[in-house]
Amino acid sequence: MKSKTAKRPIEILIVDDNPGDVRLTLEALKDGKVQNRLHTAHDGVEAIAFLRRKGEYADAPLPDLILLDLNMPRMNGVQLLAEVKEDSALKHIPVVILTGSREVEDIAKTNNMQADRYVTKPIDLEQFTRAVKSIIDFWLTTVKIQTEER
Amino acid sequence: MSQTLKMDQQIAKSEVMAHEIKQSKELFRILFYRSPIGTYIIQDGCFRLVNRQLSYILGYEEDELIGRPALSFVLPEDREAIREKAVSMLKGECSLGYEFRVINKQAKIKWVMETVVPIYYRRKRAILGSLIDVTERKQMEERLKQMTDEMQRSNTELEQFAYVISHDLQEPLRMVSSYTQLLSKRYRNKLDDDADEFIAYAVDGAKRMQTLLHDLLEYSRVGTRGKPFSLVNCEHIVEQAMANLKIAIEECGASVSYDVLPSIMGDEGQLVRLFQNLIGNAIKFRGEEAPQVHISAQRRNNTVTFSVKDNGIGIDPEHSQSIFDIFRRLHTSEEYPGTGMGLAICKKIVERHGGHISVQSQPGQGSTFYFSVDMAGGEAE
Repeated sequence: MKSKTAKRPIEILIVDDNPGDVRLTLEALKDGKVQNRLHTAHDGVEAIAFLRRKGEYADAPLPDLILLDLNMPRMNGVQLLAEVKEDSALKHIPVVILTGSREVEDIAKTNNMQADRYVTKPIDLEQFTRAVKSIIDFWLTTVKIQTEER
Repeated sequence: MSQTLKMDQQIAKSEVMAHEIKQSKELFRILFYRSPIGTYIIQDGCFRLVNRQLSYILGYEEDELIGRPALSFVLPEDREAIREKAVSMLKGECSLGYEFRVINKQAKIKWVMETVVPIYYRRKRAILGSLIDVTERKQMEERLKQMTDEMQRSNTELEQFAYVISHDLQEPLRMVSSYTQLLSKRYRNKLDDDADEFIAYAVDGAKRMQTLLHDLLEYSRVGTRGKPFSLVNCEHIVEQAMANLKIAIEECGASVSYDVLPSIMGDEGQLVRLFQNLIGNAIKFRGEEAPQVHISAQRRNNTVTFSVKDNGIGIDPEHSQSIFDIFRRLHTSEEYPGTGMGLAICKKIVERHGGHISVQSQPGQGSTFYFSVDMAGGEAE
């Protein structure tokens, strides 16, 4: 099991309507040691289509990790998180809230909704790169724990 | 002989008595009719006796009032409350200074304040009332309330505005800052010297703007995102502030001491920020010697006044007011970095806790910052 996850790249779905942030995450991931493939959805509706392999996403892989922005048009991050965590086929996917908002209310809301982790998009590039790396580290430990539990 | 004397004495006595009665009648007339307070007796719900001032307030002649139900002059909306008062008063309770509206003969509404006491008048239960016209005061109060409401509304709007601005501007600024940093990281020495310099200025500008926005956001949060007050121990607060400043304190060998400090009602996070800013300033603006900061508190009635005393470079008294303004700086950022928001945030926190902040200082003599806090947590609106 463990060797299997190590061989193929991690499939990451980033749900964010800001292309600047998506690109920045991509750049930060490039610097990391773990092989990965980044998929993009611009809002919750697109993300759900991707996750359920609807329409143009028929061949999409099921992501190993979801990076989620909270502030988006159409279906926002909080709503998407609720939907993912209620879906038995999706709820095992770790979700990390990666958002520009530092609002305590947002944090509280997501805590109720069992996001796996909450990361504020740091305003400094170095810190941003470190944050993305820490997310990947977090994912590796989660996967390890899940593998051992099985 | 003795009979005549007795009679004479009696006549003299009754003359004295008649004189006294006359005098007391006159006194009554002066006191009752010339009183600047509307005075009256109500029996069975109707006026039995009224003075001139009441006539004046209600705009009716004395004989137009006698025998008429007192309640008929009260504004219909206020009648029920008055009736209840009258009932409780007939059970022997006095009613002091309550306010209601009356309608005068000219159909104008007036605010009056009435005090009534239960009495006996001609052997029957009655009410002795006194009443003054408070219309002008009421109007002033109303105007004042409108003005306060208006000010509060515009204040809240302004706070909300500052909050939204500083919050929403962070997002696009993060893009500018991240990508100029990425440019600088990836392309340094790959373009020409000019490009490196330009990028460096862009990176620096974005960074400074971020700090400004961050501090502005924090400032606006004092009013809009404050926590409810709870009982907090100030020694604990100072310890937390010191823990947050641990590195700065260690780096310059500062010593921070404090006396016995009381517990007060307040917003813990904000109070930590307040002490942290003041201790932080004492360290930042240090003199030649290692900084020494001492915190003490003095209680007077319900107010505690804290003092934070340092041995730093001091402040020219000329600036002792303006240093609490937002974005106010007395030094260049080369001399001392900062946005000039620290003391403005302190002032806002102190004011939210019902107090004032001030400084006593001379250049080169150190500074002492004083701030007061309402112990009971009388949160300023």
